[in-house]
Amino acid sequence: MIRRAILTFMLDRPGVLNKVSMLIRKKMYNVDTLTVCSSRVPGISRMTITLREDDEAKVEQIIKQLEKFTEVISAKELDTDHSYWREVAIIQLEVDAAHLESFHGRYNFEVLEKKNEDAYILQVAGSTRQIDSFLDEIGREYIIEIARTGVTAMEK
Amino acid sequence: MTGKKKMLQALKAKGVKYIFGYTGGAIMPIFDEMDKLGDFRFVMSRHEQGAAFMAQGISRASLSTSTPQIGVCMATSGPGAMNLTTGIADAYMDSVPVIAVTGQVATGVIATDAFQESDVVGVMMPICKQTYMPLAAEEVEATVHEAFYVAATGRSGPVLIDIPKDVQDQQLPEDYHFDANNFHPDLPGFFFHPSPEREVMQKAITLINRSQRPVMFCGHGVINSNAGKMLQKFAEKVNIPIAFTFHGLSAVPADHPLSLGMMGMHGTVEANRAIMEADLLISFGMRFDDRVTGKLNEYAQNADVIHVEIDPSEINKNVPTSVAINADVYRTLHVLLGDPMLTFKPRKRWFEKINSYRLLMAEDLQQEIEGSVGDGGKLLMKSIVHQLSELTKGKDLIVPDVGQHQMMAARFYNYQTENSWFASGGAGTMGASLPLAIGVKLARPTERVWSISGDGGFQMNIQELGTIMEQQVDVKILILNNGYLGMVRQWQTLFYDGRYAGTPMQSPDFGSIAQGYGIPYLKIETPEEIVPALQKAIDHQGAIILEFICDPSEVILPMIPAGGGFEDMIIKRPSPTPEEPSATTEQNGEES
Repeated sequence: MIRRAILTFMLDRPGVLNKVSMLIRKKMYNVDTLTVCSSRVPGISRMTITLREDDEAKVEQIIKQLEKFTEVISAKELDTDHSYWREVAIIQLEVDAAHLESFHGRYNFEVLEKKNEDAYILQVAGSTRQIDSFLDEIGREYIIEIARTGVTAMEK
Repeated sequence: MTGKKKMLQALKAKGVKYIFGYTGGAIMPIFDEMDKLGDFRFVMSRHEQGAAFMAQGISRASLSTSTPQIGVCMATSGPGAMNLTTGIADAYMDSVPVIAVTGQVATGVIATDAFQESDVVGVMMPICKQTYMPLAAEEVEATVHEAFYVAATGRSGPVLIDIPKDVQDQQLPEDYHFDANNFHPDLPGFFFHPSPEREVMQKAITLINRSQRPVMFCGHGVINSNAGKMLQKFAEKVNIPIAFTFHGLSAVPADHPLSLGMMGMHGTVEANRAIMEADLLISFGMRFDDRVTGKLNEYAQNADVIHVEIDPSEINKNVPTSVAINADVYRTLHVLLGDPMLTFKPRKRWFEKINSYRLLMAEDLQQEIEGSVGDGGKLLMKSIVHQLSELTKGKDLIVPDVGQHQMMAARFYNYQTENSWFASGGAGTMGASLPLAIGVKLARPTERVWSISGDGGFQMNIQELGTIMEQQVDVKILILNNGYLGMVRQWQTLFYDGRYAGTPMQSPDFGSIAQGYGIPYLKIETPEEIVPALQKAIDHQGAIILEFICDPSEVILPMIPAGGGFEDMIIKRPSPTPEEPSATTEQNGEES
């Protein structure tokens, strides 16, 4: 199914996040990630929702339903060609220094902590695909714990 | 100055005259203040659900008067608020503006599972247009003003204000200032398009002029924007027949030559057949729900759709639209009527066809209505409704409950008064009629109001007879008693081989009940008694209960089975033996 991102700006009022998550449940949307943060303007939050949906009409319906909330200021779909979608992952894994070195330059990562000779906590930032491919290449079986933020996005 | 006083002042400023409700621990301060101020007529319901429907009645009935009001209901925390929910969910489904005020436990004990504490905002959120919980006295007044604005702006709906007990009693700060006249809620994303865009209107007009077999839809939006007369003028101007949604009834006189009657599951043959064959549907203020469309992929396949609707999320939701007009119905009709490009067409062949459909069931129905009784000799609901319609010349206000009798009331009353039909539609809440009728009567005191219920629905809010008694509300109450939950029984007859699971119902002696409440009562068992009894109800000043003993095997036809398409429309009474095929559809009926 096609991955979609919806960017919405809303008033930072009690219950807004609750409403959005209830909408997702009620309409049975297949949501991948949901991130919320404050925007440049005090009192206004921005939310990025990514979901998998092939049906254009259904995506249009989600946007209209979001816009219907009195707190929502705007909601629109972002396409990959005209926007940046990024996330951050924090990963605790078993890896030796030499192996890790081979990833330098190819991935945007940073060592947060060296636990011992072959255990590290890393931070990786990038597109979902970049992070996925980092994990595949380093070997998912060596990962002890992982935390991903989910996608946040901005128009070009 | 306190939060509770500000609450009541703001309600008064918004034109509220009636408050429906039931007191309790967490709302006592507001009730106490209300009593001191004496600005409102307080109507005590006997159950909070009743109060929510009474508030709906005020909003729905008054919107076409010179003094539209938004109904207000009040309840205490916990069970009081929970009892409101059905009436509020009903208002949400039917786009009725209602303000629900609930007391909440004091802020200090919120979230401690205090006595009579429920997460009212959490429960109400999915069934309200907006929910508020003011946490300080100085928030109260602005909250009330915003609540009214949100409830009535764009597509209307219910709004909740859950106010903790200590906030009700809290003093305002000395520097408190609020200017109600210049208040505008800070909701930058909450706007709607009242007027249609020029470009789309041109597209719509081209389609209308080009169409050979158009049908116009009159939905709830026509009633809500008081556009019945405009719609009629427009239909006459372009000579296009009008089909009504359930909530569009009474916007235009039911016997208007262009009227096709109600569409959908229990709609007329002529409306549904015309829709099936139409090349253009012009839909005003409706949402194409499943009871209207039947199977979506078979719905009006050859038709372009012009959809005029104030709520953009309804456009393209169920039926793909050729021209989307996201605007107020009244303003759209205003623009259409002023357009010189629109042409009148005789559409001779189209109307001939429609008239042939009108005749399909006419004879059967006429026979049933004139016979007045079913095979067992008991009264037919459609005949009772028909005679009520004749006697009142179709001018009275009709408030049905939910079920078979409701569809009879929708189909066989000849609505002449704009906005004279008040019913629970989307939610289909049994028990709505009695309390709804109380609100309707209070909003339109000079008009006659008929509450029509089945024996099942009547008993769901029977306690509101107490409200009628206490407030002396002049509602004429008809109980069409067939000893069953009639609509479910009809489905059982048609689709469950006549197994009547959970539908036979024993009722109390309604005469004794009426006596207990001091309300006059008549029982009607023969056709000859119908008109004299109705006349007696008309002549009597005050509430009266008429119980009609009805035929349980009566069915409302035509019927499009749930999930079926218009081709599956049942137009003939089913065979009485369960072994035989249970229904005759148009395909194997004599029609085609």
